[in-house]
Amino acid sequence: MIDALEWLQYVLAPQVINGASIGVAVVLMALGLTIIFGLLDVINMAHGEFYAIGAYAAVVLIGMGMPFWWALALTPVLMAVVGYITERSLIQRVFHSKDRHTLTLLLTFGLGIVLEDVLKIIFGANPLRIETPIGGAVEMLGLFFPNYRLFVMGLGTLIVAAVWILIFRTKIGAIVRAAAFDRHMTASLGVPVNKVYALTFALGVALAGIAGVLLAPIYSVFPTMGRDFVLIAFSVVIIGGMGSIKGAVIAGLLLTQIQSISSLYISPVWSDPLLFGCMVLVLMWRPQGLFGRLGHA
Amino acid sequence: MRHQFISSFAVSTVLFAGVAAAQTDPIKIGVVTPLSGTYAGIGQQVKWGLDLATKEINAAGGIAGRKVELIYEDEEANPAVAVQKAEKLLQVNKVDFLTGTVNSGSTLAVGQVAERNNRLAATTVSFADSITADKCSPNMFRVNARAGMQSAALAEWLSKTNPNANVFYLGPDYEMGRSTVAAFKSAAEAKGAKTVGEVFAPLDNKDYSPFFGQIRGARPNVIYTSVAGNDTVRLMTQMAEFGVNRNLQVLGASGTVTSQNIAAIGKAAEGFVTGVGYSASIDNDANKKFVSDFETAYKAQPDLYGADSYGLMYFYKAAVEKAKSTETDKVRDAMRGIQWSTPQGVKTMRAGDHQAMQDMYAVQVKDGKFSIVGKVNAEAAIGPDTCAKF
Amino acid sequence: MRESYLISISKKISAVQLLAILFFGLSCVFAIIAIVASDVFFLRLATEAMIFGGLALSVDLLLGITGLLPLGQALFFGFGAYASALILKNWTTSIWIVLLISTLFSALMGGLAGLIAIRSKGVYFALISFGLAQVVSKVVFNSRDLGASDGIIGVPNAEILPGLTSGDPAVFFSFTILFILFLYAGLNYLLATPYGRQLIAIKTNEHRVAFLGFNTWRYKLSAFVLAASIAGVSGALYPMLRGFVSPELMFFQVSGNAIINVIVGGTGTLIGPLYGSALLTGIRSVVGSFTPHHQLVIGVLFMAVVILLPRGIIGYLAPLLDSWRSRKRNAKIQEADHG
Repeated sequence: MIDALEWLQYVLAPQVINGASIGVAVVLMALGLTIIFGLLDVINMAHGEFYAIGAYAAVVLIGMGMPFWWALALTPVLMAVVGYITERSLIQRVFHSKDRHTLTLLLTFGLGIVLEDVLKIIFGANPLRIETPIGGAVEMLGLFFPNYRLFVMGLGTLIVAAVWILIFRTKIGAIVRAAAFDRHMTASLGVPVNKVYALTFALGVALAGIAGVLLAPIYSVFPTMGRDFVLIAFSVVIIGGMGSIKGAVIAGLLLTQIQSISSLYISPVWSDPLLFGCMVLVLMWRPQGLFGRLGHA
Repeated sequence: MRHQFISSFAVSTVLFAGVAAAQTDPIKIGVVTPLSGTYAGIGQQVKWGLDLATKEINAAGGIAGRKVELIYEDEEANPAVAVQKAEKLLQVNKVDFLTGTVNSGSTLAVGQVAERNNRLAATTVSFADSITADKCSPNMFRVNARAGMQSAALAEWLSKTNPNANVFYLGPDYEMGRSTVAAFKSAAEAKGAKTVGEVFAPLDNKDYSPFFGQIRGARPNVIYTSVAGNDTVRLMTQMAEFGVNRNLQVLGASGTVTSQNIAAIGKAAEGFVTGVGYSASIDNDANKKFVSDFETAYKAQPDLYGADSYGLMYFYKAAVEKAKSTETDKVRDAMRGIQWSTPQGVKTMRAGDHQAMQDMYAVQVKDGKFSIVGKVNAEAAIGPDTCAKF
Repeated sequence: MRESYLISISKKISAVQLLAILFFGLSCVFAIIAIVASDVFFLRLATEAMIFGGLALSVDLLLGITGLLPLGQALFFGFGAYASALILKNWTTSIWIVLLISTLFSALMGGLAGLIAIRSKGVYFALISFGLAQVVSKVVFNSRDLGASDGIIGVPNAEILPGLTSGDPAVFFSFTILFILFLYAGLNYLLATPYGRQLIAIKTNEHRVAFLGFNTWRYKLSAFVLAASIAGVSGALYPMLRGFVSPELMFFQVSGNAIINVIVGGTGTLIGPLYGSALLTGIRSVVGSFTPHHQLVIGVLFMAVVILLPRGIIGYLAPLLDSWRSRKRNAKIQEADHG
């Protein structure tokens, strides 16, 4: 009896909390991706690179003397601008062709290659780091957990909630969902659909950017950092349902818990194959993912 | 009579001129090194070391009177690209010698290309034991220290400062990560250390916190890790974040904390110890001059990659001058057993397996810089010759 | 009379086929020049371009003809390469046996992978294909028996005929180009059969094909297996050329490069990917010697093609050529009528 309690407290609980903190990071990344797919029908293969650009933007701002909190607030704004410009100048051009899915995937794939090399040219290949803005840790009930990670979990949850409120409880959100559901009807009601698309893409990119800033003190900054999240973010989006915010959150938290707890029992090298196996299973049983699609319920 | 004399004189003049011309055209050395990609930082140090040595050698008259020319190609740390570029250098640029490869896959593959083209090659970075052991090649030489030598220096330091330590091993799950851990484990256990746990995380793993529970549970007082590059930054900063490194001595492989990532690791690197063949704080005149020349030229401190690459040029120079030729077989014979001066002192190239012998150091990070805390001499460090191919 | 006969003959050869003949013709010219100059490097580089051209063909079979985007085709290329290396090192150096077994092995792996992947469509298929390649290549990267991250070196030359081995650059280039010609001709022929037509129909409108009573799943799976075999047999040629294999051959970089080769060359034209592979291998080699930022150059080029020239170079040139020829033909007919 006592052994089981001890196991719960000293073995399982830390793993669950760890999993949750990684999970919030994954959800932030998957959220931007799923919104972009849900509304624009665009697979953004450059999402990881936008995450990296957000982190580098913070490095530059902090290097100029700005405190971390200002950088945290400013970076998403900068990233939204970058996203808006990318959508209007690049994505729009292939948007109206019959092969949209393939072409946007390929275009963003090429964009990812270019952005990664640009980061390497500007900042060099060596890693950089931002000092953790909140030091210290919480020690209670035998558990030890860094304060900054608790902060990231909290802020991440707030951000996800804010996005959800934006999409489901505001007028702008209604417009976005309408444009996802039936773009022609929405356009004929006088909504500037192209601008809505660009803004949505900007939102997705801003989310990636803010994830970059938040995670930079934990995971450090280097040009190929985008690849950290590619497989897991896409898996979460697919399993959760492409375009479903609820799906991204639930799938993100669930998958990271599975990974975290399973690492107690199986060799860590099987962690990725396990994830992939989950993705395949879900696709075979329910090809549209656990939940539906943005705008399509 | 006069006719014959004039014609033979003419012939010998032409021959002499031809030979003299051949003797004064430059010696070309091909450098296949990662100039882009994750290892670009290492490739940069290699380039700096080679360039500095070549400048010095050319200023002093070259090798056997011939100037040295370096030709660079980017191999992106990908053996398939390395092989293609190596062949270009040998066939199109007609280089006499190859060097520059960083990861062991590329070194082995380029060694094979060198064999097929009857040329010699050397590595200044790869530390996998296999390159001068079971996968040795008669055309590949290594001027830097290998993993076994690094482990010897480190294990010696550990046994002196922390006898019967409890050691936990953590490494990236791939060949290099595992074999480096295995090499140190056997050296440490031979000196009395105890193994209390072992875990291998995936390469490029971003979050090590899932393993901290296991580490804490094993209660080690020493942790040895073979992660490198970005993985090190993450591991060490996360260990500091979670307080795992309190009362814990952190040891690692030579590639774990280097000039490429030490800035990003910051305070979390304090106290880290590793075994290496070079440190900028080695106290002899040659090294002091080398470090100051290097810093003047490149505004950066040399690390082991830069220093070993610098030393390579002098190795090649010594061999070619001893052989009085750049022909492959003659140079190979000259290289076997040769001794040459480097910033680390005098190195000897062991004939049996083409592995350079040198004194090894244990170095510790203090205030963001490495300083020497221990030394093992060359014979004790090198280990047995297990190369059976020649 | 005679003019109209000639006109009717030339009508039978389309622009794409002319461009294909041009491609193989230029390759012969290149080979002759290189052999006369006793070159080694360029012949081997061209052979490598053709080996990756085979991989590009397999991608085009899926992307350009069946309408499936494979982001992990390098997996099968790697399977073929590793199988070939192991057989050459441990069993036999007969090229025919090696190629046969590599093809069968890749087909088998393709069948297994296809069972998982074909159930999904479009972007899901792409991501499953990507994920599968990532996962399996990591396993290979860690397998000690397969040489782990160092790969397998010391692969001997393959014997084509007694006295002719893959070690000779000219001989092997000729063999490879003939082999690729065989693959190309085979695929071309396939497209004209009912089976090939079915695949094209599936790309155009899969639902309608299903409504017509055909089992689209079976067609897609067989196309996937065929593509895997082509990728595998091309991969099998790699260790014969370079004498080694390494896990990097399965990594996403290789799959991505194949996709770029196909898109730039011309999706669906079959000869486009071969042109693309030749062109881009050359560009990568040359640009790589000048700057370490060749990825940037290739990436920008690729994006430009996707935006401006989505049908690729051959996809763009062939119709132009066709319309120019028909204009000339009409002019000739008019002349004949008035003359």
